[in-house]
Amino acid sequence: MDTLVRQLSRPAVPVHGEDDEAYGNAAEWGSMGGYGNLSRTGAISGMTVPRVLDPISFLATHTDNLSTNPEAKIKLAHGTTCLAFKFRGGIIVAVDSRASAGSYIASGTVKKVIEINPYLLGTMAGGAADCQYWETYLGIRCRLYELRNKERISVAAASKILTNLVYQYKGMGLSMGTMIAGWDKTGPALFYVDSDGQRIKGNLFSVGSGSTFAYGVLDQGYSYDLSDEEAQDLGRRSIIAAGHRDGYSGNTCNLYHVRENGWEFIGNYDVSQEWYKYNEKEKKALEHAGKAGVQGGSPMAVEA
Amino acid sequence: MFLTRSEYDRGVNTFSPEGRLFQVEYAMEAIKLGSTTVGITTPYGTVLAVEKRVPSPLIESSSIEKIMEIDAHIGCAMSGLTADARTMVEHARVTSQMHNFTYDEKIGVESCTQAVCDLALRFGESVEDDDALMSRPFGVALLIAGIDEKGPQLYHADPSGTFTRYDAKAIGSGSDAAQQSLQDSFHKQMSLIEAHTLALKVLKQVMEEKVDENNVQLAQVTPEKGFTILGEDELKRVIEGLAA
Amino acid sequence: MALFAPPPMYADPTMAADKQHAFNPYSENGGSILAIAGADFTVIAGDTRQSEGYSIQTRYARKVWQLTDRCVIATNGFAADGNNFVKRIKQRLEWYEHAHQKQMSIKAIARLTQTMLYGNRFFPYFAYVILGGIDEDGTGAVYSFDPIGSYEREACRAAGAAQSLIQPFLDNQIYFRNQTPAPGAEPFVPGRLPLSTVLGLVIDSFTSATEREIAVGDGLELYVVMKKGRTTDDLVGSDNLIKNMQVQELGALGEGGSERTFLVSLPLKRD
Repeated sequence: MDTLVRQLSRPAVPVHGEDDEAYGNAAEWGSMGGYGNLSRTGAISGMTVPRVLDPISFLATHTDNLSTNPEAKIKLAHGTTCLAFKFRGGIIVAVDSRASAGSYIASGTVKKVIEINPYLLGTMAGGAADCQYWETYLGIRCRLYELRNKERISVAAASKILTNLVYQYKGMGLSMGTMIAGWDKTGPALFYVDSDGQRIKGNLFSVGSGSTFAYGVLDQGYSYDLSDEEAQDLGRRSIIAAGHRDGYSGNTCNLYHVRENGWEFIGNYDVSQEWYKYNEKEKKALEHAGKAGVQGGSPMAVEA
Repeated sequence: MFLTRSEYDRGVNTFSPEGRLFQVEYAMEAIKLGSTTVGITTPYGTVLAVEKRVPSPLIESSSIEKIMEIDAHIGCAMSGLTADARTMVEHARVTSQMHNFTYDEKIGVESCTQAVCDLALRFGESVEDDDALMSRPFGVALLIAGIDEKGPQLYHADPSGTFTRYDAKAIGSGSDAAQQSLQDSFHKQMSLIEAHTLALKVLKQVMEEKVDENNVQLAQVTPEKGFTILGEDELKRVIEGLAA
Repeated sequence: MALFAPPPMYADPTMAADKQHAFNPYSENGGSILAIAGADFTVIAGDTRQSEGYSIQTRYARKVWQLTDRCVIATNGFAADGNNFVKRIKQRLEWYEHAHQKQMSIKAIARLTQTMLYGNRFFPYFAYVILGGIDEDGTGAVYSFDPIGSYEREACRAAGAAQSLIQPFLDNQIYFRNQTPAPGAEPFVPGRLPLSTVLGLVIDSFTSATEREIAVGDGLELYVVMKKGRTTDDLVGSDNLIKNMQVQELGALGEGGSERTFLVSLPLKRD
């Protein structure tokens, strides 16, 4: 009998859960009416989930998050090289600006450094929307902390808020690998946070599809005692190397420097142009040293 | 033993035959026990001033918090049961940040006030499965000062959930006299300095003690700096100006 | 913690024995959309064909809608999701107007769009959204989104079936990619082309896409949003009309905002 009732009461078509949740309470209609999936306490609530037995495999079937599921219709923007490292002059944060959806370059002008507030930066690797949305949300949580406690949040606490947020969704299909960089009472601080719920404090990280290429350049040039200029150049060069070798990274490099009084945007650099500039420099250095020069003006010849 | 109102002044949601909600009216009375609070709007920003009652020399006066920041562009001052105001300010802060998150813009001063007033009406029996509900009306009134695209504004929000916009407003124990002197001295083209002086002058009239930097607090919301509480030096300068 | 909607009653383990067919609520309805921002105007366009696989469902289905006096939205992907999304965003715009006594700016609509799309992170709208309009400074603005809400402000964006045909063309013509100014000429500045040039680019994009992409064709609807006080001669002046092109001014939706929106329609090939 119970089974029969259940069968009869089953809706023919799976429905959104949103309506019963978010718009059910008439009191939500006043000043709280316009905040969608934010509850009265400012927490994220009532995310729509398809009413199927296994929503996780539903999502996996229909979306292509990391160009691993070309069958799926819904292609999401992703792919990246990001890096950040601490040194004597603070923290350098450098990223590329390419977003791919499948093999298509969806954008070459993505802002992968998310300015959470004037002294906190987050980077974007993995799902573009996941990073953008949760790091923006982190921004308001940090601001509320500041209002309640009359002092700035530490980088450790901010990164932990983010970890706890995404951990609640563990296994649901979020995809983000992010670095939270900033300056607090303890000085410069850098954390790696990902959608598995991992959170690591460290001095040097690179994340994303091009991270191995970036690490190669970064590790050989890194020292804690770099000057500001040397450090910025190292960050930039690492991204450019990754943009050159990784198909999912490229276009331009955005460079930031975090110091005691907050972050500063250093500049935007075209990956191809910078690559050839670096090679030009190397070539000159070689010629200068009197070694067998690379012949030909073609940049391709340098690469060969 | 019983007063004539006794039948209708218990249930917070019960009207008297004359159409009054006594508990809400009593809540308004609670504000008149609070310290005096003044707000003044000028074309250059809005000024808030509060009297801090320091009944004992053993009290650390800086721990009395009667002016609070809601967001960079909105602040508020309170009179009455200040503990209740914390709930309201928390709600205002959360709503401001939710607005910021959802619309990538600052919340309007009026919208923020509206949100606080919606909360003020959430007392009484609970509806459905509403867990956190208040048993009584708030015993506090707020002066909410802020700046948005409509310019500097000042709102008065009371326990009945009503809000009204004012050029200048006084609440609390000395409010009757204070409001009268605001009415006499206020003019639309006031400078911020004039507003500081007027606010303290009004407080001075209704305060028993001599005004000093420990028993009053001044704050302002300006287009340039947003919400700021005046530091001790600045406050002292205004107080010195009063004597002159 | 109410992070998600409660699990459905039939998601009961005792029901697992029930045979369930794969739940596929998505279809792809072809077509293409495009938006280009100018210094004091924005053009947002979409074709009107709606198809499924190789068959055309209708030759007139709208993909572009006016939201406010200074914002127009275009959606592409699965038409039902797109239409539903537009319906919901219009409702939110109305609520906002009642709560805050003003029309939402395009910047605010963009963020709202992100939160609404991301609210369906686990059951995505299969919709690529582009917003076009005039920002608070009176400059043309284009915002583009992925289906779960990552977004970016740009000077131009194409999406849909002909995205890969149109976008490279726009990169070249709007962003001047791989172009070098003639010796002695002014350097290129993206986002400053005159309306007549932009209209020409949009129309050419769609006529060309129609030639090579089966899912594009039938008709073109092109919205032009103009900054307040800007001349309209370059659109409605009699000598600017292309053959078969119709221009219609859409009335103001709110009070005070004197931005003007025009709907330009013209036929595309129907084969």
